[in-house]
Amino acid sequence: MEQSPWDPEGVTPRLDASGTIVLADGAPDPTATIDLRGFYRAMVHARCLDLALARAGLPMWAPAAGEEAVTASCASLCDPNEWIYAGVRDQPALAMLRGVSPASVLAGHRDGARYRGAPGGASLPGVNLGHVPETLGLYLGLAAGHAHALKLERAGQATVAIFGEGLTTVGLYRETVSLAVACDLPLVLLCKSQLWPEAAPAEAAVFGESVAERARAVGMGARRVDGADPVAVYEAIEWALSRARYGRGPTLVEAVITQLIHPDVPGHRDPIERLRRHLDRAGQWTPTMQDALEAELRGQLPRDEEEAP
Amino acid sequence: MIVRDQLARRLAALLRDDPRRVLLGEDARDGGMLGLTRACVEDPELEARVIGTPLVPALALAHAGGLAIAGLRPIVALPSAAALYEGFAALRELCRLSLCTDDERSAPALLLAPCGPGLGLGGDGADELSSLLAPLSGLRVLACSDPREAAALVREAAEFTAGEQPTVVLLPRDQLFVDVGDPVDTLEEPVALRRLRHGDRATVFCWGAATARALAAVDALEVAVDVIELRALSPLDRAGLVAAAARTGKLVIAHPGPSAFGVAAELAALFADAAILHLDAPVLRVGGEAGPLARDTEGRALPSVAAITEAILRVVTF
Repeated sequence: MEQSPWDPEGVTPRLDASGTIVLADGAPDPTATIDLRGFYRAMVHARCLDLALARAGLPMWAPAAGEEAVTASCASLCDPNEWIYAGVRDQPALAMLRGVSPASVLAGHRDGARYRGAPGGASLPGVNLGHVPETLGLYLGLAAGHAHALKLERAGQATVAIFGEGLTTVGLYRETVSLAVACDLPLVLLCKSQLWPEAAPAEAAVFGESVAERARAVGMGARRVDGADPVAVYEAIEWALSRARYGRGPTLVEAVITQLIHPDVPGHRDPIERLRRHLDRAGQWTPTMQDALEAELRGQLPRDEEEAP
Repeated sequence: MIVRDQLARRLAALLRDDPRRVLLGEDARDGGMLGLTRACVEDPELEARVIGTPLVPALALAHAGGLAIAGLRPIVALPSAAALYEGFAALRELCRLSLCTDDERSAPALLLAPCGPGLGLGGDGADELSSLLAPLSGLRVLACSDPREAAALVREAAEFTAGEQPTVVLLPRDQLFVDVGDPVDTLEEPVALRRLRHGDRATVFCWGAATARALAAVDALEVAVDVIELRALSPLDRAGLVAAAARTGKLVIAHPGPSAFGVAAELAALFADAAILHLDAPVLRVGGEAGPLARDTEGRALPSVAAITEAILRVVTF
């Protein structure tokens, strides 16, 4: 199996670098429990949308390529009524996967139709997506408040917040965690960690072994998974959501992702490529199918988005 | 009954009236920093809707925002108006919430802010903050002048009759532990402005803890002076203010906190803009000292009766 400096240590693989399912004692066979082809389609569409956004020339825009397992899992596993407070780079794909047309996702971001005219700047109440306030980390507090309302109503639902490991250094993250633990809030915290943020080891900025370890230390349920392993990500988020819905309090899932913008990232660090390898081996992937999937999304974009530069 | 206890009972009544209301605050589940949440905690029916928040004001305000997005009506019992210095960024986001949701959600959040001198805190505790809060777009700022009305003002604010926007009620600390007998149940209309004294020689505009001092100054004079109390500092009743200013043309603005760069400056600019032909004297602002003030001198954050008297005589004899 390929090993690289981008691979996290100490995580349990479910779909390995070659695209082979790793069966574990007591764990279900994911090919029987997860619609892997639907999952693949969602991730490919998220990637295509991200590329279109990158071409749109938004100021200070950073692509989300390599992080699709988290957004696609959320879109698939969350009840449509459950609110997701996502970061600016996650909101477009989530909006699309929750039914907003790709064209209007792009239009909202480009025409300034909404507040600031930037991705994540406005909530999308129609599809239960929260906005990202300009104050750093404040949306974590909004998500906790939302989760508190669900708890008071005994709704049996979760509220989800998605963020990067950098935000865990912000005071509001720690305060949100304290409150969520103290009040047993049905809050699911999904942290996308990089091993080498800004090319330095994460420990340079965050204390302890990992974000998940620190979450466990304050009494929160936590799992750390490989963000390039879409099956592991899916199962961890499913576990976190079910804990929240059944009143077991807040849960954190840390997915170690690799941003594909780095030039030397090996192919297996891409969750789409990894699942593609699996589907290919199972005879469920062809280049034609790939073209059709991509065309399906590009056909929903305005004409100028369709033409690659 | 002291005002603090009237407010505590009013909060319990508000929670009983509307199951969407929840009460948040530092130590709220132990009665709150000032005892404002005690009546709610003691009622088993309401106790579940009292949320103790960590000490950081930004988190309490963000929490209120999330509760509001989910359809609830949070009431935040702040330990002090000065907590909004720390929570200012979160307060701004709360004010923008309806803008950020294309008006599909609003933030009917009520913030109770004990402010100004009264408990010997000094420092930030002596501050009143209206000049910081009033410029925030989307925020309603109310100030309590008459302790008998405190509970009624909170009730009016919690009804959000003027729109579902975040609302701060500034509660002067020097009123909280005063026994005022039977409270006023409902505010007389209109909420924004109220004439407390009639006179045609000059007009004193005042609010909050400065109101009692303005009345003391006017009542000791042998000159008939109009006293106009502002209960809403934002949004301002601009037409009502201009009409009141035009009646006498001799204006004094007495208010808590330092005069410079504040709400009083906004009023003076409004009068210069919209009532210039009626003005017969300079518009005078009488405020308190700029802080920080020590614990034993925090009362200087309010204008003195002597200073208000002097200002009135100056415009009357101009």
